[in-house]
Amino acid sequence: MEKIQSIVNEIYEIFKDYNVSKSEIEKRLKLLIFEFKVPEDEAKRTIINGLRRDLNLSREALRFPLTKIADLEPGKGVSVKAKVIQLWEPTSQSIAQWGVIGDETGTARFVIWAKSAKRKVEEGKNYIFERVFVDEFGGIKSIKVTSISEVREIEEDIEVSENWGEIEITGALVSISQNSGLVQVCKICGKVIEAGICKEHGKVEWNEVLRLRGVIDDGERTYDVEMEENCIKELTGLDLRTAKKMAFEHLDRGIVLLELKKKLLGRYLKISGDLKFRTVNVKKAEFFKTKVREEVDKVLEEVKAL
Amino acid sequence: MRTRREVARRVFAKEFNSSRYKLGGNAEKEPVYVLTPLGLKCNRIFIIGALIEKEETKPDSEVLRIRIADPTGSFLGFVGKFDPEAKVSLTEIDIPSTVAVTAKARLLERGGRVIPFIRPETINLSDFESRDYWILETAKATMKRIEMMKGDSELARLAREKYNPNLEEYKEMVVSALMRLKEEVEISEEREESIEESIEEEILDLNDLF
Repeated sequence: MEKIQSIVNEIYEIFKDYNVSKSEIEKRLKLLIFEFKVPEDEAKRTIINGLRRDLNLSREALRFPLTKIADLEPGKGVSVKAKVIQLWEPTSQSIAQWGVIGDETGTARFVIWAKSAKRKVEEGKNYIFERVFVDEFGGIKSIKVTSISEVREIEEDIEVSENWGEIEITGALVSISQNSGLVQVCKICGKVIEAGICKEHGKVEWNEVLRLRGVIDDGERTYDVEMEENCIKELTGLDLRTAKKMAFEHLDRGIVLLELKKKLLGRYLKISGDLKFRTVNVKKAEFFKTKVREEVDKVLEEVKAL
Repeated sequence: MRTRREVARRVFAKEFNSSRYKLGGNAEKEPVYVLTPLGLKCNRIFIIGALIEKEETKPDSEVLRIRIADPTGSFLGFVGKFDPEAKVSLTEIDIPSTVAVTAKARLLERGGRVIPFIRPETINLSDFESRDYWILETAKATMKRIEMMKGDSELARLAREKYNPNLEEYKEMVVSALMRLKEEVEISEEREESIEESIEEEILDLNDLF
């Protein structure tokens, strides 16, 4: 019986995304093994092929099972139904398109190789990516679309999980927006208010906060970043209390923004946080330090080899 | 979806200054890009280098002409009243200083000549460590472009057609920039003098231009 159970589980694993129940598999298996006296591996093959026909699936579709993004495992071949959330500019001519896809379980990167010669995908549309390979870099999973893959647009509108996962970025802080620094935000929506008036909620109660909204740019992509008091303090030593004191002494809260710009604009930062659309909610931030000297020799060799 | 912010590209002065052609800007709101000889399409750039010149273009013009040097040459820049943030920071920065600059990339067309220049959006004091990292980062980005130029992408084809660049020359540029980095790490004491010498050269160079 144990042997039967393990075969049932094996078959179930293959078809679990297609609404096939274990009891049905077990029934078919027992019928073949006990009634028809078919050897176990023959029975297994018969059932798999039978289910495949019933579900109208190709052999390849089974080797690349339909998988949710949260369940992607590096090194595996899968098929994924997902929405294209973001497209990035290709950084190399071997890449036709790349960016972020998502489903209700999470998000992942995707790369469509130029050699795969696929029709272009569009932001906001839903696709099935068939026969793609999973891989992982820096903790972020990605799927690779190659020439054996198929990408088809689907009718279904896939809902994307709010959770985009952690991301780590190193780049220059190239812009700090005007609504950064010591600002008053609406107690209801958290947006900056002007003269006590929130654009959405009218005259409201407000909180005074120290925050930063800006752009980190690594030369290939830009990310909007949002930083709250703790990260700002980590980088500049400035906290809400000292910011308020500065503003009071200068009779101008603009002085805080100026100070943030002076200390942070044009700096290389290494940040990590949650990515949502183009915005990173920064949880950890530090000035980026690298051993330039050690890297120079490496890069020199690479240039000479060009 | 709002229009996407243009990425600030990393490019050495020598490559940038050899640019003569624009891309885009045909349709309304389509950004204008400078096409460099290595097929870089840039609307915005990020530089860390030495601010070696800051002067009013003409008395009372309120437009400052600046020069920012990297190991391969210098970027010519203009800061006017339309870039108030950059202008205010400039008044507080002495020459020579190491600065980090985010700027729009532009081409000036005058009397049949095309001169690439930048319009800084932000200028901030930086330091040698960040500058060294910029050189490294820019060397890597340039390397990628040299590699790209050997291929058949649209930009590579366009750049070849317009400039037919000598890739070896750019390879040497990257090597010498990196070598400068090695020297500087080792003998940063002697830098002061060489900076002063190069200022004079740059000024001579400029007078020749305008």
